[in-house]
Amino acid sequence: MSGLLHFAEHRLQEAALIFMALVYTKRILWLLKFPAGKERQAPTGSRDTTKRKGILYSWAIVGMPWAMESTRTRFFTYVQFVVFHVGVTAAIALSFIIPYLPGLIENNDTLVRVFQVVIWAACAVGCMRIVRRIVDPYMRAISSPDDYFSLVLLTVWFAFAALSAPNRPDQGEGPLLAYFILTAFFLIYVPFSKISHYLYYPFTRFYFGRSMGHRGVFPIPKSVKPAFREAAAPVQAEATATTSSH
Amino acid sequence: MEAMQRSYKAQKVIDRMAKKLNRQIAGSLAACVHCGMCTESCHYVLANPGDPTYAPAYKADRVRKIFKRHFDWTGRVIPWWVKADSVYTDEELEELKDIAFGKCTNCRRCSLNCPMGVDFAVVNRMTRGLLVHVGIMPKGVAVVSKDQWEIGNQMGVLKEDYLDTIQWMSEELVDTLGDPGAAIPIDKNGCAVMYTINPREVKYDPRTISDAAKIFYAAEESWTMPSEGWDMTNFGLFSGDDELGGAVARRVFEKAAEIRAKCVVMSECGHGYRSTRCEGQNWAGMDVQFEMESSVVTMLRYLRDGRIKVDRSKNTLPVTYHDSCNNARSCGMFEEPRELLGLVAADFREMYPNRAENYCCTGGGGAMSMSEYTPQRLKSAKVKADQLRATGAKVVVTSCHNCVDGLTDLIRHYKLDMKVTQLVNLVADALVVEKRVAVPVPKAVPVAALAGRTILVIDDEPDVRAFLTAVLEDNGAKVVTAADGDEGLALARKEKPDLVTLDISMPGKDGGKVFEAMRRDPDLRSIRVCVITGRPELRKLIYERPVPPPEGYLDKPVSEETLLTNVRKILEVAGDQKAH
Repeated sequence: MSGLLHFAEHRLQEAALIFMALVYTKRILWLLKFPAGKERQAPTGSRDTTKRKGILYSWAIVGMPWAMESTRTRFFTYVQFVVFHVGVTAAIALSFIIPYLPGLIENNDTLVRVFQVVIWAACAVGCMRIVRRIVDPYMRAISSPDDYFSLVLLTVWFAFAALSAPNRPDQGEGPLLAYFILTAFFLIYVPFSKISHYLYYPFTRFYFGRSMGHRGVFPIPKSVKPAFREAAAPVQAEATATTSSH
Repeated sequence: MEAMQRSYKAQKVIDRMAKKLNRQIAGSLAACVHCGMCTESCHYVLANPGDPTYAPAYKADRVRKIFKRHFDWTGRVIPWWVKADSVYTDEELEELKDIAFGKCTNCRRCSLNCPMGVDFAVVNRMTRGLLVHVGIMPKGVAVVSKDQWEIGNQMGVLKEDYLDTIQWMSEELVDTLGDPGAAIPIDKNGCAVMYTINPREVKYDPRTISDAAKIFYAAEESWTMPSEGWDMTNFGLFSGDDELGGAVARRVFEKAAEIRAKCVVMSECGHGYRSTRCEGQNWAGMDVQFEMESSVVTMLRYLRDGRIKVDRSKNTLPVTYHDSCNNARSCGMFEEPRELLGLVAADFREMYPNRAENYCCTGGGGAMSMSEYTPQRLKSAKVKADQLRATGAKVVVTSCHNCVDGLTDLIRHYKLDMKVTQLVNLVADALVVEKRVAVPVPKAVPVAALAGRTILVIDDEPDVRAFLTAVLEDNGAKVVTAADGDEGLALARKEKPDLVTLDISMPGKDGGKVFEAMRRDPDLRSIRVCVITGRPELRKLIYERPVPPPEGYLDKPVSEETLLTNVRKILEVAGDQKAH
């Protein structure tokens, strides 16, 4: 292993991690400086729901695709989300395993293959997401340069992570160097980008879940499909001047 | 862009945002990942395919960009990278107004569908509040807010009209039931229930009042309606004005405490229920010692406890139920109305989606009062119209007056063969009332007088003083005048007038200081004040003071008719309060 690769795998990562931890701490303090809204009212809704249940449900909702209409009716998008984030977890894990626990993947082709399949799948999802963000007018309208860059960054990072999974610097240090330099950049860039959303997730979902639990909205009740459904044609609007102008 | 001169209002919006941000809102503004999962949950999007400007994330970004530019670090350093941007002109604020008021009903459907827990409805409400604070709002919002600030209810119903209507309903009910004990009590102390309503019921739908009274009568409930604080609706929820929200809620709470009611029951109004039951205490910053519940829960309890009997064969038309956004998505009322409906209607058909996933009636968020957005509201109502028609029902039931109006409008627009009603009507129709021994009840409807009042006019402009004096004296008032604040305060102490008309911008002690001094003076604080100013932008000088708001607020130039109408309203309200 070259000195450069050793530096990238160790000192560079450690420095980037420390930087990220400091910046994240500052970020959390920034968020906490905003006052938390207080709810004085007595609970509403079902007596089975409480603030505590609402918070737990809210945190867990990301693992319950049936709970929200948005994930239930766009199941393929939800699967993409799962694959993508499992890929992120695998690629992060790999960035620790290679420098600190190399024995775990040494002579363990199965585990390496698992890492590679998961991360390549995430890379493929990344490509699909890039295309969707560019092609879909709704996605384009809400996307910022950071949205595109973060997605491209992660997708490229996935590719180098998958290539680095066997940890064979003897067969060429290029992918490993690229992977660890990208990881360090990723760690430094994340707190300033949308990728830091996982830092906010516990906060936003905590407060939303607390409020919705207190008010009996969480867990979200099932939208019951009626047994009787009349097949009806879509309605026609009255031809008024007001609507015809739209 | 930073070198651009920022308008006064734009600067105020930014300053105000710093004060209004809490952890929930800051989190919602910072956490959006632009995943687009919320897009199809919005009825505006579904009704306007191909137009991304209706997407919840897009709409939220219009205010998120300001947050990022001024409060979030990446946006402050490299704004273009995260599409952060400030706001500079009043025109930009007007555009923001069209989004916050015209493209969103705050129904919270997108919030429930956001994987990140971004509560766009709360963000949008804050945006509305920021705009209202600088006077940028749809005209209807301004009118309704003004009525609720000054008259005490959002439809400007005078106390005498309210009491007349109650009396009318009361007399009809007594005649129908043949029992004087069926009369509607007013301000009865120590009752189990203080029943509060929506002013729409007084103006357009008094039958809901008599239906409720009939149910209370049948249940032999100890109940009363209040003479003040009877409007449980709250336009502060729609306008984002927490101060208004707090003031309105406080009126209800204080009245309930005054007459020692054990429970405040709210008639079927989604936003009223949410405002009074859930948000009111937060806005008012006070805790209450009595219970509060929706009349839906009250009626269901009567049925469960056997206090009333119903015959559901009296309601045979197929009915469906529309969940009000505020009742359901914001207050968790899902099953009670369905259980009640099952007991009083013979043919109930669920619409789909329902409960927390139901679509907005499209008239929510105050949309019915914003006529400039009616075309896009009715266009977006196509989603709701399809949903209604698919049920095959002839009657759509909802526990919300706003929804009644929104649904009625779209039913007419899309020519659906349906009518809209409320649970109280169905329960009253199905009610089996047993004959009871007659008990006489007193009736008292005080009428306020306008004549014989003393009015102090404080204004530095001689022409204005002369005009106001002439108009008021011509109508029987005794008028004293002051040319500046100090003289005004001295005369107020000396004359103890019934009303003070107060200019804001004056040399020496300005109107704001005079107003606060009056409110803080135990001898003067009960005097009614009507601010009359030529500088409406100075409204904050009055309303931001930590004292109760003035009873009236008029912009110059003021016409004779407007002046008299408002003075009369204020004095009538004052007269009635004194009578109690």
